[in-house]
Amino acid sequence: MSQNGLGGLLAKWRDNWKTWRIIFFVVLGVMLVLNKFIYSYHGHFWDLDTIPGFFAVFGLVVGLAMVIIMKKIVQPFIARKEDYYGD
Amino acid sequence: MEISFIHPSIGFLVLALLVPFVPKDLWLNKAFRGTLAIVAPLIALASVLTMVPDTSFMVIPYLDQALELGRVDKLSIIFGQVFAIIAVIGTIYGMHVEDKGHYICGSLYVAGGFGCVFAGDLLTVFLFWELMSIGSTFLIWQARTKESVGAGFRYFVYHTVGGLFLLAGLLLKYKATGSFAFIGVNPADAMFYDWLILIGFCVNAAVVPLHAWLPDAYPRASIAGAVFMCAFTTKTAVYVLMRGFAGWEILGIAGTCMALFGVFYACIENNARRILSYHIVSQVGYMVAGIGIGTAMTLNGATAHAYAHILYKGLLFMGTGAILYSVGTVKLDKLGGLVYKLPWVFVLYMIAALSISGMPLFNGFISKTMTIAGAANAHHTWLALGMEIAAVGTFISVGIKLPYFAFWGGKKEYVGEVKPLPVNMYVGMGICGLLCIAQGVYPEMLYRYLPYAMETAYHPWTADKVINSSLLLGFSGLAFYLTRKIIVPHAKLNLDFDYFYRLIGRVTMGAVCWPVSKIDDVWTEVYRTVGLKALIQAGDGTSVFDKKGIDTVVDGSAYTVRNIGRVGAKVQTANLQDYLAYATVLGLGIFALVWYFG
Repeated sequence: MSQNGLGGLLAKWRDNWKTWRIIFFVVLGVMLVLNKFIYSYHGHFWDLDTIPGFFAVFGLVVGLAMVIIMKKIVQPFIARKEDYYGD
Repeated sequence: MEISFIHPSIGFLVLALLVPFVPKDLWLNKAFRGTLAIVAPLIALASVLTMVPDTSFMVIPYLDQALELGRVDKLSIIFGQVFAIIAVIGTIYGMHVEDKGHYICGSLYVAGGFGCVFAGDLLTVFLFWELMSIGSTFLIWQARTKESVGAGFRYFVYHTVGGLFLLAGLLLKYKATGSFAFIGVNPADAMFYDWLILIGFCVNAAVVPLHAWLPDAYPRASIAGAVFMCAFTTKTAVYVLMRGFAGWEILGIAGTCMALFGVFYACIENNARRILSYHIVSQVGYMVAGIGIGTAMTLNGATAHAYAHILYKGLLFMGTGAILYSVGTVKLDKLGGLVYKLPWVFVLYMIAALSISGMPLFNGFISKTMTIAGAANAHHTWLALGMEIAAVGTFISVGIKLPYFAFWGGKKEYVGEVKPLPVNMYVGMGICGLLCIAQGVYPEMLYRYLPYAMETAYHPWTADKVINSSLLLGFSGLAFYLTRKIIVPHAKLNLDFDYFYRLIGRVTMGAVCWPVSKIDDVWTEVYRTVGLKALIQAGDGTSVFDKKGIDTVVDGSAYTVRNIGRVGAKVQTANLQDYLAYATVLGLGIFALVWYFG
C-alpha cells in the first residue's frame, strides 16, 4: 500500500522534527544572505523593499502582530458560544 | 466563415432534465452515473476550447430588444474555460454521490454560471443569475443536515435581495436608456441605477459588509456541492464586475478591505471550511481590487487570479471535504494527527495551500504577484501594501495553521474512525493539483488567454521576485512558529456582520407576525363563541337531509373530490423548499418556450 508507505514516511519525518527545524532556520538564513545580492531594483513600497531583508522583516512583524492582535485582543470581544445563534 | 457554437449551459440543462427519469438500478451503477454526469462538462469544455473571440450567437428578440446568450470574446472565453475545467474536476470528485438531487441542482447551478459569463445583455445575466441562486440554495440543502436548512434559507434571502437590486437597476436603466446593453460604465457617468446594479453584483462577490452569507452557508453545504459553489458564485460576480465596473476606484478600496477582513477572521476561526470561506472573501478581494484599479495589468492580474483561485480553492475544499467525509468533522479543535491516516489528502491539500499563499512553483505565485505589482505600478501603494499584508495572513491561516492542527499535532489528536475515501475523490484532487503546479511552473499556459493587451509583459519568474516571495512566506512561517501556542483554535463562534442581518430578519419577522397573531387570537375567540354554535346547528340540519337518500348520489363525486384533494395535498407540502423547486421548473419551462418560439 502506497498510502501506508507515505504515511509511514511522514511519521518518520515527524519523529525527526528537530532536524527539520534546523533545516528551516538554515534555509531562512541562506535566503537572507542571498537577498543581500539578489533584490528588486525598483520597489513597490516607496522603494523600502529594495533594502535587503525588507520582506523578511515585513513577514515576521505583520505575522506576529496579526496573530497576537486577533487572538488576544479582538477575539475575546467577538467570541461567543458555538450555539449562540441556535443553528 | 461558418462558426458553430454550442452554448456550454445546454449540456447541463439537458442533464438536469434527464436525471430524474433514469431508472434506479441503472443510476446506482457508478460507472454509468459517472459517465452520464461527465458528458455535460466535457461538452462545455470542448465548446469553450473551440470558441472564436469576438463573435455573437443565439440572439433572441424579446420586448423589442435582442437578448444575446452567446457573447464570445477573450474575457468570456477565459472565464468559461476555467468554469468548464472545474466543472469536470468537481463532477469527478462527486461521482460517488448517489443522491440524484446533487446532480440536478449542481447542473442547474453550473448552467447558470455559464449563462452569466456568455450573456451579452443585463436581462440575460439576470435570468441566469437567479438560476444560479436557486441551484446553489438547493446544493446547500443537499447536505441534508439540520443546520444546512437554516443556512440555505438565509443564503436564499440574501441572494434574492441582491437579485432584486440587480433587477431594479436594470429596469431603471432600461427606462432611462431604452436598452439592456451590458457594457462597461464610466465611473464619471455613473447614474443611480448603475449603483443599484453594482450593489447587486457586490452581494454575490461577497464584498464586505455584504459578505456574511458566504462564511455562513459554504461550511454547511454538501461536500461535493461546496466544490462547485466555491468556484462559481463569487467568480461570476468578479466577471460581471470586470465587464461592467472596471476602473471604479471604490472597488479598489473595497477589494483591499475584503482581502484584509477575510484573513483577520480566518486567523481566529476554528472550522476548517469556514477558514477557507473567509479566504474566499479575501482572495476575491484581490480580484475586486484589481478591477477597481482598472489598468490592463491589474485587470489581467484579477483574471489570472480568478483562474488560479478557482483551481486551488476547489482543491482546498476538496481536501477539507475529504476530511469531512472520512472523519465527520472539520473543527480543528477535534482533529489532529490525520497525516498518517490520510497522507495523500495532506499532500494534495498542501499543493493548494501553497498555491493560495503565492509560493513560487504554484499558481498563486504567478497571479497574486501580478495583481500586487499592477497595483503598485498604478501608484496605489497603500492598496498594494494591504494586499501584501493579506498575503502574510493567508499563508499563516491556510498554509500552516489549518494543516498543522488538522494533520499534525500541537494538541490532542483525533483517534476515532477514519472512513476510506472513494477513488474518484483522489482522481479529482489529483487533476486539480497537477494543474496548480503546471500553471505555477509554466505561467504562459495561463497568460496566453489573458484578455487585455499590456504594454510590457509581466514575468513572475525573476530571481528577485522569487526571493522576495520566499522570504515573505518563510518569515511568516517563523511568525507562526513563535505564536503557535497563541493561535491554537478554540471552539467558539466569532460574531460577524450576519449578527446585524439576523437582527433585521428577527425584527421584520416580528413586525409581520405580531399583527397576524393578534388577528388570529381575535378570530379564534369569535369562532369559538359564534361560529361553532352555528356550525353545530347547521350540521344537525344537514344530517337529516343527508340521511334521506342524498348519500347515493353524492358518493361518486365525493370520491373524485377527495382524490383531487389528495394530489393537491401532495403538492402543497407547506415546505418552502418544494415551492421553490416548482417555481424554478415553471420558470425554466416558460423560458424554454420563449426560447423556442421567440
